[in-house]
Amino acid sequence: MSAKQLSRRAFLKLAAASSSGAALAGLGPLRNIASAQDTVELTFGRHWEAAFRPRQSEYDEGFMERHPDIKVSITYNTWADHNNVVPAWAAAGTLPDIIYVHGSRATPWAHEGIIIDIHDIVVADEEFNVEGMWEESVRLYRVNGRIHALPYDHGPIILGYNKDMFDAAGMDYPSEDWTMEDMAAAAMELTDPDAGVWGWDGRLDLGNGGGGFFTGAWGGVHMNEDETEMTMDTPEVRAALNHWYKLIHEDNAGASGTESEAFPNSQPFRAGAAAMGHIATWSTPSMRAQANFEWDVAPTPMGADGKRYTGAFGSGYGITPTSDKPDVAWRYLREYLSIEGMIFMWSLSGRGSPARPEGLEVWLNSDPAPPSGHYFLEAMFDYAVTGPPFQSLAAAQVSNVLSTQAELLRLGEASVDEAIAAITEQGQAALDDVADM
Amino acid sequence: MFRRLTRPISASAKREERIFYLFILPWLIGLVVFSAGPVLGMLGLSFTDWRISLDDLQFIGLDNYAKLFADPIFWTSVGNTLYIVVGRVVFGVSFALLLAVLLNQKVPGIAFFRAVYYLPTVTAGVAVALVWIWIFNPRLGILNYSLKQIGITGPPWIFSKDWVKPSLILMSMFSVGPIMIILLAGLQGVPKELYESAAIDGAGNWKKFTNVTLPMLSPVLFFVIIISVVSSFQNFTEIRVMTEGGPGESSNVMIWYLWENAFIFLQLGIAAAVAWIMFVVLMVLTGAQFWVGRRWVYYEADSG
Repeated sequence: MSAKQLSRRAFLKLAAASSSGAALAGLGPLRNIASAQDTVELTFGRHWEAAFRPRQSEYDEGFMERHPDIKVSITYNTWADHNNVVPAWAAAGTLPDIIYVHGSRATPWAHEGIIIDIHDIVVADEEFNVEGMWEESVRLYRVNGRIHALPYDHGPIILGYNKDMFDAAGMDYPSEDWTMEDMAAAAMELTDPDAGVWGWDGRLDLGNGGGGFFTGAWGGVHMNEDETEMTMDTPEVRAALNHWYKLIHEDNAGASGTESEAFPNSQPFRAGAAAMGHIATWSTPSMRAQANFEWDVAPTPMGADGKRYTGAFGSGYGITPTSDKPDVAWRYLREYLSIEGMIFMWSLSGRGSPARPEGLEVWLNSDPAPPSGHYFLEAMFDYAVTGPPFQSLAAAQVSNVLSTQAELLRLGEASVDEAIAAITEQGQAALDDVADM
Repeated sequence: MFRRLTRPISASAKREERIFYLFILPWLIGLVVFSAGPVLGMLGLSFTDWRISLDDLQFIGLDNYAKLFADPIFWTSVGNTLYIVVGRVVFGVSFALLLAVLLNQKVPGIAFFRAVYYLPTVTAGVAVALVWIWIFNPRLGILNYSLKQIGITGPPWIFSKDWVKPSLILMSMFSVGPIMIILLAGLQGVPKELYESAAIDGAGNWKKFTNVTLPMLSPVLFFVIIISVVSSFQNFTEIRVMTEGGPGESSNVMIWYLWENAFIFLQLGIAAAVAWIMFVVLMVLTGAQFWVGRRWVYYEADSG
């Protein structure tokens, strides 16, 4: 493990900074005079779409007002490029102090020394209360049991539906007692080829969040617990994938890959051309912005065993080894990822699914949250499990194989058996390749 | 080839030589520092377990190359690359030559048409790729819409394993502006007297084209084929924006395979090995073209 840990000296500096910051909290004017003399620049590499950047600026301005000795400078990457830009920064030795870390990247980035071990500082900071975060979300950033980054966002995947289409068909909305079979039957009933609408969106996601949703109900599991073995070649996974494949290509109740290309982001559900689709908390703002129909969410339909299964996933922030001021970086993160910080950034703005239950509860009252948004909360409490792969150094390769084969299944260019064979062979080869690292 | 000078070099010639080297010095420095240096550095790194940090690199000999040769996806990418390179070169150069011949005609408004055919070249590659995604859209794209008007059901284009490579080749034919311009310049350099002589000998248009135009144009054709092969190997934008190597691995070309290994999988040592394999393949192909070129490229200066 090459990731750098915070030294005892750095930790003591940090603790001193934190406590002095708290002590100065009531001495605004004095604090300003004293601190403005020695300003440090805190650099930040992240992605936000342009529309959300004013919120970030507002937060940072408030932070700098509270901490006049810190100047926050942000470099924005696009979402598509961030994960490629960061390794280039790392190779060039130009990493900013804090970086955005997608949950799937925490382990490889920790291993490569792109983010440092912040475990001691996090657990020692009682005010921060890491226990108050969803454990499922913090799990993403524990590498060999030690925290290397912290989540800001973590959400489950549940069922979304177009109320207008259900109303037009005179059908009841998805209910809490729905099974996957009920959902498929409703999808077939709602499909109208002449009108160019499908009952099911057709997207097939076998990756981190989606894996649990699409195979869990049949008892399917993609990988073993410690992510050293692919476990897709089972009757359970085969039954699950056959279910979705049949729904799309035989029942024609889900948009195929080719058909979905006619819609923005290949998402017929969001475009109002599919009655149902899987939906995550983080996609609710774009649903609200783009959907010109009434929509809501329902619990993930149950499996034949009467239980619910789904995946959850998210993103966080880490401190880099090239930072010469990890103490300052922590002063920022501890406020940014506090309950108040999360509520300001992601709950009230409706932008995401904060990684703290308090944040998610406030988020439920934001505009983008759907009327039955509490089902997201229930999923987080009751049945959502952080989906693999994220612990293996080969997580990116395995994710790549999963998404490639899911795409082929949706296009109808691979059979279920072919997809499972390819995932098993290529995924296992990637896992074996890193077994000794 | 350079000939050894037998006469002593005059002082002015020596000064001129020094000035020559002085002027090319910035380029030479650039070549060594920014091209040759990294290329050689990459060769060294391809024998290591390089992931991100250059600290603690382990020398692993030919392991990266062995891993590559054992990876079926690498071979798929090699096959895809050769398919697309051959398609782009054969159809692209042929189409560019056809356009160049057409745009070499003395008809009103020819400058406008030359500009139109060159236009895709000056448009940003990402923008062109985004437009082509819509052109290729199976349901809404103008291509399948046009085919439908004449009773043909269009294929799924880039959304099909079978059609994605032909689609990329088809698309590349609309970006032949640079080689079209080079060929056009070559055509305009063919002496008129040769056509007049051929006409006196009774040659028709086709004979003139095959017996005068093509031989006289062969050095230019040789050049555009070489740069087309090289640029086809290096073509990345379309794959990145339009297909990401898919569906499946059907458009996974070597440059995409390299990029994925470097920036997604953080296997920079393997990516360096792929880069070197591409370099060697390109050198061999270029050398082979020079060898074959001796049989079909006609240089006026060599004819005595």
